[in-house]
Amino acid sequence: MTVFLKMSVSVTFLRPFTKILVPFTLHRKRSIYSTVLQRCMSSKIPAVSYPDKESISPPEQLELDGWKTTMKSSVQEGVSPVLNKDEDTLAATRELIEMWRLLGKEVPEHITEEELKTIMECASKTSKKKYLKFLYLKEKLKKARQIKKERKAAAKEEAKKAMLLETTEEDKQQNFPFLRVWDRRINIAMNWKGVQAMQFGQPLVFDMDFENYMKPKELQNTISQLLESEGWNRRNVDPFHIYFCNLKIDGAYQKELVKRYGGKWDKLLLTATEKSHVDLFPKDKIIYLTADSPNVMTTFKHDRIYVIGSFVDKNMQPGTSLAKAKRLKLATECLPLDKYLQWDVGNKNLTLDQMMRILLCLKNTGSWEDALKFVPRRKHTGYLEISQHSQEFVNRLKKAKPSNSFPKGSHVHTEKVA
Amino acid sequence: MTFPLSGVRSFPNLWKCSPYFGLSPGHSYFFLTDYCGVRNQQRWFSLKRMSPQSTKATNVPIAKARYLRKGEEGSNKQMSFDSPHLFAAGAAKRRSQMNPQSKDHVLSPVKNSSIQLPEKPLDSKEWDKLKEDFQGKANFENWISSQMARCHSPINVAKSLLAWVAAKNNGIVGYNLLVRYLYLCVFHKQTSEVIDVYEIMRARYKRLESGGYSLLIRGLMHSDRWREAVMLLEDIKKVMTPSVKNYNDCIQGALLHQDVNTAWNLYQELLGHDLIPMLETLKAFFDFGKDIKDDHYSKKLLDILLYLRNNQLYPGESFAHSIKTWFESVPGKQWKGQFTTIQKSGQCSCCGKTIESIHLSPEEYEFLKGRIIRDVIDGGDQYKKTTPQELKRFENFVKSCPPFDIVIDGLNVAKMFPKARESQVLLDVVSQLAKQNLQLLVLGRKHMLTQRFRWRKDEMEKVQKQASCFFADDISEDDPFLLYATLNSGNHCKFITKDLMRDHKACLLDIKTQRLFFKWQQGHQLAIINRFPGSKITFQHILTYDTVVQTTGDSWHIPYDEDLVERYSYEVPTKWLCLHQKT
Repeated sequence: MTVFLKMSVSVTFLRPFTKILVPFTLHRKRSIYSTVLQRCMSSKIPAVSYPDKESISPPEQLELDGWKTTMKSSVQEGVSPVLNKDEDTLAATRELIEMWRLLGKEVPEHITEEELKTIMECASKTSKKKYLKFLYLKEKLKKARQIKKERKAAAKEEAKKAMLLETTEEDKQQNFPFLRVWDRRINIAMNWKGVQAMQFGQPLVFDMDFENYMKPKELQNTISQLLESEGWNRRNVDPFHIYFCNLKIDGAYQKELVKRYGGKWDKLLLTATEKSHVDLFPKDKIIYLTADSPNVMTTFKHDRIYVIGSFVDKNMQPGTSLAKAKRLKLATECLPLDKYLQWDVGNKNLTLDQMMRILLCLKNTGSWEDALKFVPRRKHTGYLEISQHSQEFVNRLKKAKPSNSFPKGSHVHTEKVA
Repeated sequence: MTFPLSGVRSFPNLWKCSPYFGLSPGHSYFFLTDYCGVRNQQRWFSLKRMSPQSTKATNVPIAKARYLRKGEEGSNKQMSFDSPHLFAAGAAKRRSQMNPQSKDHVLSPVKNSSIQLPEKPLDSKEWDKLKEDFQGKANFENWISSQMARCHSPINVAKSLLAWVAAKNNGIVGYNLLVRYLYLCVFHKQTSEVIDVYEIMRARYKRLESGGYSLLIRGLMHSDRWREAVMLLEDIKKVMTPSVKNYNDCIQGALLHQDVNTAWNLYQELLGHDLIPMLETLKAFFDFGKDIKDDHYSKKLLDILLYLRNNQLYPGESFAHSIKTWFESVPGKQWKGQFTTIQKSGQCSCCGKTIESIHLSPEEYEFLKGRIIRDVIDGGDQYKKTTPQELKRFENFVKSCPPFDIVIDGLNVAKMFPKARESQVLLDVVSQLAKQNLQLLVLGRKHMLTQRFRWRKDEMEKVQKQASCFFADDISEDDPFLLYATLNSGNHCKFITKDLMRDHKACLLDIKTQRLFFKWQQGHQLAIINRFPGSKITFQHILTYDTVVQTTGDSWHIPYDEDLVERYSYEVPTKWLCLHQKT
């Protein structure tokens, strides 16, 4: 059945052939027809049953390879003249990065001469790729910000137009008690508080003696965190008097700080000194805060000087700050993270600004639950239930102590407990 | 079936609640001999005790499961006695399997994509349709080509995709598609296609990136134009160090085309870059060596074996076979190779020769000692692990004592059995060793001396009577002291801890010192393998021989990795290839 069906189909196909064939095989027309048919079918059958397998007719096969000729024929950009070796490797690196970009790897689109040199200086392939990825992300962020900025500007423009239309009709005359100079007022108020803190505030020391333990990247992160901490402190109701101790003049810290703060550096309301904290304060009053400490901080003491190491450790050097405290024979403490939080992931070293906010909160309210809300949420699964008994025990301890804490702080605290 | 299993899971938790019956050493003997009976009583007893706490425990099937578990544990115990040594290949794997908490995570199957990958070449209309069906975020051409590369689609399909893209795009195909197509060509070993792509890439791009180069090298090595692949290697070198795989491909190709000199030059270059060659590269040299009867070539092969020795590399199973075949093919020498193991005494089971001793030479020993003090204890800042005062105190203490025979890591030993009281376990171990008239040193921390439930003062006093003790500050590390005391006492001194000391090994800066440390550790570390407190302590036996490629001129002993055994980096193989000349 099927053969017959196909026969009828292929007959039409065979017409041109038959015309040629006829003179030779007229007397055996039938048989010739069948042989030709057969031959034809043997070549056609696969084509019919799998319409697009490799044995497609020659013209189609050519089409599969057609792109090759065009690709080959297209001329490459003019070959640059032979450069000296250094420039050659630079160019080669640039081309390599470009090819990587074509491949969809995470590399920046534009790259400066300077960055290229940094790449060449990278010791290993991995560090090269890491740096390229960093540049890529930087570029991406910059682009996104640019786009956002443009969109905002456009929106503003439109809003302005709309405003213009509206305000023309409205009466502008209204009674306000103040001029709109909020920002400046706030700044002045904060500076006033800062001056107060410089005179009467509790000292909080940032130990800047970790220059040699950090790579440039980590140092930059440290400075960012310091900036942030300083900002949090400035905005607080009752700021600390911040000390930057062991800050070497023209050291890496100082340079970076001056670069970030610019002209403001000299007007900051904090004490930056080359002296060590042990020279400035009595040793028995100093408490060095480090996550490696075996002693757990139970309460915030208002007559102590807390020292925070301004140190971002991405290089796994545990015990560095503890060793510092041991050398100077200082008391150490760590935050009672395990006591209050169900710790999940991440290490217990918190960033400087988180430390600052926790300490500020402790200073003002004395409540651990409140203070520890500044611990990143991803690091723990929640607060631990503290049994009634231990809670009472803590309260008794607190009551037993002569309160030298601020009245406001203790007030808030008792309210909380009750 | 599943029910008893869950019972097994819950077992360790239940067991933790059961009290430890403080068995004095006198009882321990009984404990061992009448092991089964006591275990049974204890089991039922603990079951009864448990019942108010956990209703689950009263379930008979669970009790049954626990009984089964007991049998299993017994067999495990048997196994641990049989297990060769702490650092034997596969030992860590076995240890981890004995730990019931570890669960194997079954990899979830690869998620199904919405689009079925085409199995036959499609024409442009079909590709258009497929593109319309595609709803991913990514670029369709990009996505489909990477999927095809992942699933190793036939190259005709990939080619039809490229033809479609080219037709849409004025005959231009992007570099990423081209590279993925090249990958498929290389994977399916279509050399002529590889050459075509190579021509295209050369025409279009001045330079490629490392991935493209690597694929081209791999593809071209099997063709007649393999020399161009070596040129491509030169191109890579302009920007970065080629990978060991690149070198491997080039060397294999050179050997395939009988160009021995190029192969050796590339090998030298590879070593010059401080890269560790792939074992396949080395195997290729041996495989090729069968057909070459050339003294120069043989010498180089022996150099490779020495390279393995110096870098503590172990050949794989098939490589070991290649080495054996090559040795046996050397004319006139009549080498005979056999796969064997080494006896505990350090003799080869096959030829009876003694394997090299694990002990360090005096110079090596002194060197290691210096490095341990400098890098592990001091480490640039004495305050990190200890204090200078404490270090001084310790040094004086060690000087005042005669050399020790055994140094005990008190805390590690005491915490061996979580159920037992720490001071009791420590006392057991110390008194058993003291009976053998050994000079003992127990290292610990000061908190061990304060009277508490887990550290009884009377027991600690007994310990101090039987052994010299040194207690470090609570925030100091005790392991560096352990290492120092052992090294200072001399070569005969051993130390007891279960700790594998990997963090201290990592403090040593260069890899050569790390290897020396590892060798010393293998020869001097005693690990207690008891699974029950109170029984007579047994140690995992210490290796007396060094597991490394070695020769005596007319014999070679080569340790190798079995294909089916998973060896961790701090373990050594247990199987050997013994080669000797027939006399």
